[in-house]
Amino acid sequence: MGLAELFLIAWQGILSNRLRSSLTVLGIVIGIASVITLMGIGEGAKLEAEKQVQALGVNLIYIRPGSIGTSGVSMGQGTAPTLTYEDVLAIKENCPAAEDVAAQYTSSLQIQAGEKNTLTTVVGTDPSFPDIRNFHTAQGRFFTVQEANDSARVCVVGDGVVEDVFSGASAVGKKLLIRGELFTVVGVMEHKGANATGDQDDQVFIPIQTGYSTLFGLNLVSGRAVKSILVQAKAGEDLQAQFQITNLLRLRHNIQSPDGDDFTIRTQMDILQTAQSITGVFALLLGATASISLLVGGIGIMNIMLVSVTERTREIGIRKAIGAKYRDILMQFVFEAIVLSLTGGIFGILLGLGSAYWVGSLGQWTTVVTPSSVVLSFLVSLAIGLFFGIYPARKAALLDPIVALRSE
Amino acid sequence: MASLIDLRSINRVYEMGGESLYALKNLTLSIDTGSYVAIMGTSGSGKSTLMNIVGCLDRPTSGSYSLDGVDILRCSDDQLAEVRNAKIGFVFQQFNLLASMTAIDNVMLPMVYAGVPKVERYNRAVQVLEQVGLGSRLYHRPNQLSGGQQQRVSIARALANKPSILLADEPTGALDSHTAEDTMHLFNELVSHGITVIVVTHDQDTADHARRIVRMRDGEIVDDTVCS
Ligand SMILES: Nc1ncnc2c1ncn2[C@@H]1O[C@H](COP(=O)(O)OP(=O)(O)O)[C@@H](O)[C@H]1O
Ligand SMILES: [Mg+2]
Repeated sequence: MGLAELFLIAWQGILSNRLRSSLTVLGIVIGIASVITLMGIGEGAKLEAEKQVQALGVNLIYIRPGSIGTSGVSMGQGTAPTLTYEDVLAIKENCPAAEDVAAQYTSSLQIQAGEKNTLTTVVGTDPSFPDIRNFHTAQGRFFTVQEANDSARVCVVGDGVVEDVFSGASAVGKKLLIRGELFTVVGVMEHKGANATGDQDDQVFIPIQTGYSTLFGLNLVSGRAVKSILVQAKAGEDLQAQFQITNLLRLRHNIQSPDGDDFTIRTQMDILQTAQSITGVFALLLGATASISLLVGGIGIMNIMLVSVTERTREIGIRKAIGAKYRDILMQFVFEAIVLSLTGGIFGILLGLGSAYWVGSLGQWTTVVTPSSVVLSFLVSLAIGLFFGIYPARKAALLDPIVALRSE
Repeated sequence: MASLIDLRSINRVYEMGGESLYALKNLTLSIDTGSYVAIMGTSGSGKSTLMNIVGCLDRPTSGSYSLDGVDILRCSDDQLAEVRNAKIGFVFQQFNLLASMTAIDNVMLPMVYAGVPKVERYNRAVQVLEQVGLGSRLYHRPNQLSGGQQQRVSIARALANKPSILLADEPTGALDSHTAEDTMHLFNELVSHGITVIVVTHDQDTADHARRIVRMRDGEIVDDTVCS
């Protein structure tokens, strides 16, 4: 018997009990749709994380005080004041693979313009910051090398700060009080949105030298502390840069063994990998959750097929009496299960695409349905039909024709 | 020449709670091609058991059975299915049509399992349905047909693969006497076309159509008369 013939026989079987068949299909539809949707959410999260890491800049290396603890990378701000502005200058001076370097000292401070005031993150940094972080001004300009060297009282504000204290009006040229010190706004940053470290638009950038002399104060023990160092490596030289910086800092800090490192150095690739492994686990969990509903759907198919075989024992007897072989009956019921699960699979994929699109349109989540997840869902629904259909089908095919004919 | 059906020393034993029940007891029977045989006997005398064995639906506990020169007891289940499909047509008392299928689909089913091409299958089904007088009921479902009509669909199905043997176990049991008479005329006609017909019946009138009457009691043949 050909495939078309088997399909036809299976189809007749399915149509002979439409309500039951549709309910069985529904189980698979829901299972496959949740797999597609949840995998879409997981995939979207992965893509979003990658995009954020990419948005940090190009060939970025990130150095923070403190070492990698036993529990892995510490995610909080470094606390030990082991990195200083002298380290920054040394890297600039001595690491040929480093294209550009910017120090960062962040502090949460009160700012005020006119009547309005708010608490925001003040970032002391170098003029190279916009290029390294790929984070530029939208209006005005960033502060210059000259202004940095002169410890000029200029600042560049984030686009959220403009909203908060300047009521959205043009801020360039306006005065801004930072913890009571008077600054002139020379530029406004472009809108960047939030990332893992917080709202990037709720920041005020000042020359780090100005910060040391007015706002941050000097650490008597270590001098001009920095909270992180951003390095842009020359193209294709990330590893050399990482190597050079590590050696330089160990030398400067008198560190004998790697265990004694008082700084953490991470490349963009490291950050990307961490993000990917976290979102990967997330995607896997979502997939596993959805698989459970698929499993339930599969058991539903097996259940219905068993009922169907029992109910249709007489039919099986008749078919055998007129010449159906073991394989004919086996294939009839396996095909029925496969047609049920594939129908469920196809409608599930359509519903899943729709609901992934819908979830994406809500704005909270980015959803990405990859072609591979569609193909996978299709194959999984095929496999479910095969796996859960084969036992009932075997049961049917092994029936003794006389016993089957005599059943009511 | 060897007979079409050749049963020798057939026993069919059911084990019931430690006791052996002989549904067929050392039964020997030969039937030639083109015969018209009626099998009679009281209920429980083993008629159906005999028909199932002749029809290759069941296997005897011991004995030998050759059908058309083939040693049936050596056949696998699938080979028996092939024999049933190609050589035997069954007509059951309860018709045993598939309720979800139209008359023509029911008649085409044995040809589906025989691998007959679609067009040929359809043409042949129409032909046999016309032969049994149901040319105008091709697309009716069993529940849209009378008992006699259903019986004729089941006869058409039995004839679909041009079997050499037609087995009918109490075919008229569920029919009124007039319809039963029609069925028997149909069987007469089939016999005249060279088909071997074996009918199980309680009814003497039905049996009178046959050319040979075999009487059974307790799994044994007690009388075997060829009518002149
Ligand atoms: N599957 C079975 N298990 C046990 N006993 C059976 C079975 N089938 C038939 N029998 C017994 O075999 C005997 C013959 O049955 P059967 O051939 O159906 O008789 P008939 O058709 O002449 O009425 C009966 O005594 C019946 O009870
Ligand atoms: Mg009987």
